[in-house]
Amino acid sequence: MSSILCLLSVQDGRIKRSSLEAMSHANTLARAEGWSLEAVLLGSKAADLAETAGRHGADRVLVIKDPVFDSHLNAPLLAGLEAVVKAASPRLVVAASTESVKDVLGALAVRCDAAVLPDVASFSVQGERIVCERPVMAAKKLARTESSHPLVFVSVRSGSYEVKEAQGAGTVVDVPFQFDAATLGLTLREIVKSAGDTVDLSEARVVVAAGRGVRDASGKALVDELASITGAAIGASRAVVETGLFPATAQIGQTGKVVSPDLYFAVGISGAVQHTAGMANSRVIVAINKDPDAPIFDLATYGLVGDCFTILPLLNAELKKVMASR
Amino acid sequence: MKFCVCIKQVPDVQASVQTGRMVLNAYDASAVEEALVINEGTDDPVDLVLIGSASATETIRKALAMGASEATHLVAEGEGLDSHAVAALLAAHFEGHAYDVILTGKQSQDTDAGLAGSMLAERLGLPYATNAVGLRAEGDTLVVTRQGDAGQEILALKTPCLVTCSNDMNNPRIPALKGIMAAKRKQIDTRSITPPGPRTRVTTTLEPPGREPGVKLEGEAADMVAELVRRLDAEANVL
Ligand SMILES: Cc1cc2nc3c(=O)[nH]c(=O)nc-3n(C[C@H](O)[C@H](O)[C@H](O)COP(=O)(O)OP(=O)(O)OC[C@H]3O[C@@H](n4cnc5c(N)ncnc54)[C@H](O)[C@@H]3O)c2cc1C
Repeated sequence: MSSILCLLSVQDGRIKRSSLEAMSHANTLARAEGWSLEAVLLGSKAADLAETAGRHGADRVLVIKDPVFDSHLNAPLLAGLEAVVKAASPRLVVAASTESVKDVLGALAVRCDAAVLPDVASFSVQGERIVCERPVMAAKKLARTESSHPLVFVSVRSGSYEVKEAQGAGTVVDVPFQFDAATLGLTLREIVKSAGDTVDLSEARVVVAAGRGVRDASGKALVDELASITGAAIGASRAVVETGLFPATAQIGQTGKVVSPDLYFAVGISGAVQHTAGMANSRVIVAINKDPDAPIFDLATYGLVGDCFTILPLLNAELKKVMASR
Repeated sequence: MKFCVCIKQVPDVQASVQTGRMVLNAYDASAVEEALVINEGTDDPVDLVLIGSASATETIRKALAMGASEATHLVAEGEGLDSHAVAALLAAHFEGHAYDVILTGKQSQDTDAGLAGSMLAERLGLPYATNAVGLRAEGDTLVVTRQGDAGQEILALKTPCLVTCSNDMNNPRIPALKGIMAAKRKQIDTRSITPPGPRTRVTTTLEPPGREPGVKLEGEAADMVAELVRRLDAEANVL
C-alpha cells in the first residue's frame, strides 16, 4: 500500500500548528486514495507527542528519540529524515514550510532521489501526478505545478489548511539511527533568541505588524500595547527590521515569514508586494496609513486613513474597554 | 577565500505592470556583495556562474561591475529548468573548479523555490547553511549567522562549504562608472549546455484569488476608531 509521510516540526515541546494543518490535508488525501498516513517525530520528546499525531490521523508514528534533534542543525536532521523516508518508502512526503524544513528540503530530495514542490498553497493527488498551486512572482501569480516522479516532497505554507482531528492508530515505530558528529563539517555555536517574542508569529490568531510609519520607540510602544491588548504576535516590515527597531524574526513577507491570522493590523506599512506576499491571506486586514493611496488599502478589509500616532492611542483605549467587558 | 557566487537573472517583480525588465536576483546581489566585502584587500577571487538565456549577459556584467572577478555563462534557452536541473548543471560545473566557498541566493525572486543551494551542496558533498544574514571568515572556517524559525543560529562551517544568502545580509553596492567600464573587459566564459529533464513542470499560471473589497474610513480619528471597533466586533467577529 502507498502512504503519505508527514514530517512534524516541534517547537517549545509542541507540534507546530502548521505541521498539523498540512497533516490534516494529507489525511484527507490518504483516505480518499486508500493510502496509509504516517508521521515522523524526531527528538528526545518524540514519543510523548506521538499521541497528538495519532489524534490527527497517523496510522503509524515513526520516531527517533535522539537529543541531537532538539536544536536545529541540518546535517543530523538530514541523516534522520533520510533514515525515516527510507524506512517508510512513501509516495508523498508532506511538511510545513518552516525555516528548519526549508533548510533541508533540497538536500533531502537529492539524497532520496525525490522531486520537490516547495512552499505550496494547496496540493492534491491526481492519478500518477502530484499537483500543487504555489505563489510565484512575490505572490502576484499562482503557478500550477506538477510532478509524476515516483517520490515527491511537498512543503506547505502556514494557514493553507484547517487543523482537523481524525483518529488514527498512532502505532509508535522506533527507527534505528546512528550519527557520527565528527563527520559533520559544521557545528552550532550559539542560538540567539530575540527578546520579547512572546507569541509565535506563524501560529498567531492576531498579528500586529509595524512599518516605517511607526518610526521610533514611542511608536513601537503603541504597537506593543495594541498587541498585548489583542493577544497578538508582533510582525514587522523589512524597513523597520533594517533600522533595528524590530527583530529579524518578526519580518513578514517574501524574505520573512508567511502568516495568515484571523486579524492582521498593518500599521504604517505601504504594502509593497514583497511584504504582502507574506500576509495577503489573512482573514481580516486592518490598515492604518496616512497616505490614502498606499497600496495596502487595496487589500484592507478596514482601512483607516490617518496618522498612527493619533489613531493608536484611541484604538488601544477603545479596545481595552471592549476586552475588559468580556 | 576563493568564492564563487551562483547568480540568476529574474524578472523584476517590483514593477507593478509586467514590464519584462530583467534584473539580478536580489538575494544573489547580496551574496556577491558579501563575498566582495570579505575578500576586500586580498587577491582572492570572487567568481560568478550563471545558468540562463544568452540575454542574461547583461546581468553578469552588472555583477562583474560590482567587482566580481570572472564569470562562466552556461547558456540554456527556454523553459524546463527546475531546481533539480539547475543543481545538476551547477554540480557538473563545480567538478572542474575548486572554491573555498560557494554562495547562492536563498531563493529566486520569481519562483521563491529556495532549493537549488542545498541541492547543490548535497550533490557536492559539502557542509552548508541556508538563509544566512551574516558571514565572517575565521582562518579556514566560515562563521555563518542564519535566520532560523525562532531566532538566529550561529554556525561554524569548515571550508569548502556552501551558503545561501538572505538580502537581510547587506545592501548591495550600486556599481560605479569605473566598475562598469572595468566589467566590459572582464572575461565571460560562455558555453552551451543541455539541461537534464526536470522533475517538476509548471502547467498554468493563474491569478491569485482576489479579496473582497474593503471599507476605507476617513475623517476624525475618534470616529474612525469607534467605527472600526464596532465592525471588528459585530461584522468581522474577530475580537
Ligand atoms: C528581494 C526582496 C525581498 C523583500 N522582502 C521583504 C519582506 O519579507 N518583508 C517586507 O516587509 N519587505 C520586504 N522587502 C522590502 C519591500 O520592498 C519594502 O521596501 C518594504 O516592505 C517597505 O516597508 P514599509 O512599508 O514599512 O515602508 P515604506 O514603504 O516606506 O512605507 C511606510 C508607510 O508608512 C506610512 N506612514 C508614514 N508615517 C505614518 C504615520 N505617522 N502614520 C501612518 N502611516 C504612516 C507611509 O504613508 C507609507 O505608506 C523586500 C524587498 C526585496 C527587493
